[in-house]
Amino acid sequence: MSNVVPRNVRMALSGIAWPVYILLYTPLALVAYFSFAPGPGGGTHSLHAYNVLFRDGDVGAALQRSLILALGSATLSTALGTLLGYGLCRFRVANARGIAANLPSLIIYTPIIMPSLVFGISELIFFNFVHSTTGLLNAGLLTMVIAHITFQVPYVTLTVFARLAGLDPNLFEASHDLYADGIKSFLFLTVPVVQPAIIGGFLLGITLSIDDFTISFFTSGPGSVTLPIYIYGSIARKGISPEINALGTLMIATILVLAIVHFFLNRHRERASQLPV
Amino acid sequence: MSVTTAEKTAVQTESRARAFRLWVTAGPGLFWIILFLLIPSAVLLGIAFMSSNDYGSPTMPLTTQPFQQVAGYSLLGWDDGNIIIFLRSLEQAGIATVVTALLAYPIVFFIMTRPESVRPLLMLFIVLPSWTNQVVRTYAWLELLGPNAPLTWVAHMLGLVPPDLGIAPGGFAVTTGLAYNYLPYMIVPLYASAERLDWTLVEAGRDLYASGFRLFWHSVFPQTVPGLLSGVIFVAIPAFGDYVVPQLLGGDRALMIGSLIANQFTETPDWPYGAALTLIMLVFTGAGLVAFRVLSRKLGGSGEATI
Repeated sequence: MSNVVPRNVRMALSGIAWPVYILLYTPLALVAYFSFAPGPGGGTHSLHAYNVLFRDGDVGAALQRSLILALGSATLSTALGTLLGYGLCRFRVANARGIAANLPSLIIYTPIIMPSLVFGISELIFFNFVHSTTGLLNAGLLTMVIAHITFQVPYVTLTVFARLAGLDPNLFEASHDLYADGIKSFLFLTVPVVQPAIIGGFLLGITLSIDDFTISFFTSGPGSVTLPIYIYGSIARKGISPEINALGTLMIATILVLAIVHFFLNRHRERASQLPV
Repeated sequence: MSVTTAEKTAVQTESRARAFRLWVTAGPGLFWIILFLLIPSAVLLGIAFMSSNDYGSPTMPLTTQPFQQVAGYSLLGWDDGNIIIFLRSLEQAGIATVVTALLAYPIVFFIMTRPESVRPLLMLFIVLPSWTNQVVRTYAWLELLGPNAPLTWVAHMLGLVPPDLGIAPGGFAVTTGLAYNYLPYMIVPLYASAERLDWTLVEAGRDLYASGFRLFWHSVFPQTVPGLLSGVIFVAIPAFGDYVVPQLLGGDRALMIGSLIANQFTETPDWPYGAALTLIMLVFTGAGLVAFRVLSRKLGGSGEATI
């Protein structure tokens, strides 16, 4: 098919695409470059910013909160989303029409479609209202976890649903014929079969949590500064510093390494499963 | 009637058991989203019709005053500030969408002309930057566009930017930041439709001596329209209401609707006014969404996932 594309067009495509690839990574590379700014000792570059960063207690606390937020919200949203995807795939009346039948889909797509600013401000108002009337849900790590679960559930649901929808429905019939009840067939058939989707949904949840700033910003309290909020506040107060660049570099590097490792592991597994038996 | 009462009850029990299982499995997740997103956003929209007290918090009675504020009316008379901010947001979202679409086509077809085994890797490197944190990947552009940054020196030499000022903060930096942030959202759906492309149509066109642009326009482009429309939605809607990019790269000269809304809940609280602004923004967003759905139905084929 690609032989349809003439040589000069291919050259032109390369001529546009490679500079864009470079441009995609230039800002990130510059963050890393400036993180090695010279310290008080002079020279052209140093690890001074990293030294300062590692000794900064605020950054350590923010990192800890970010990890709790990402892992906690992804775990709960994986549980909720897996059940939801499973239920919709297995127990919803097929080919139903009308508002009532489509209501679950509408509900699931709302967090995806809603602009994150509107999302964040809605939560801010809601938590504020709940706190002022009942004294519960003071803005902090707990409200952030709740909000993060809310935007992750649909993605986990869609991932699990897509995997289940691709399965042969006879599998469930077979497990039923072998006297597996609902819970047994869920635990010993569904969970193992959709395990890659569940893991994928969990990782997606973590990625979404790490990526988010806007929703975190509006649901956080003074005592729940996470890494992105720390960086944002620091830039707003005193601009970009080598320490912020060092922190940014570590965050970028973590994501890049994780993503590339995940990609190649997946590819390896796919190849292994494609071997002729 | 051949259906006996026993069979009927069996069917009823069966469907009741099914409904029960649906509630047990799907219930918690749906309940969570309803409680923590649908109800809060309904409250937000309700606040848009309330009065504001001295602290900017909503109180009774119900009023349409927040919407008059949105339209630009205040105690000091009419002011075009809000309309300018709305138009600027539309313009920024529009430019970002066009720029990402213009970049996405060559990149997608560049990837399509590479061997099949390297295509996933090339796609990975397109989406990777969008997995880093919003704040980090946005402020990273200050290293290129801020005062004393390389591209700012170039702009100074060309006389595009007054000395002592950077490209950022400013409108151009916001456009760049938006295009950078949302480029993968245009490329991914476009790539999906390019993968399904029927190349025999292209070959047929070539056999009929069509070439170059005409070949692309009549045989390739129509097949990618569903992907393009999905991409337009994925880019234009979040770009219109973006908060991080205008906040970090825009400054006061390039204020967008997102920052204007956020200010009503942070710096200078006026919740009803902020809620009314949000409602208007959602109306714009919803209208855009509906318009594009109608358009994509007319042009045939929908590239959306269904659940």
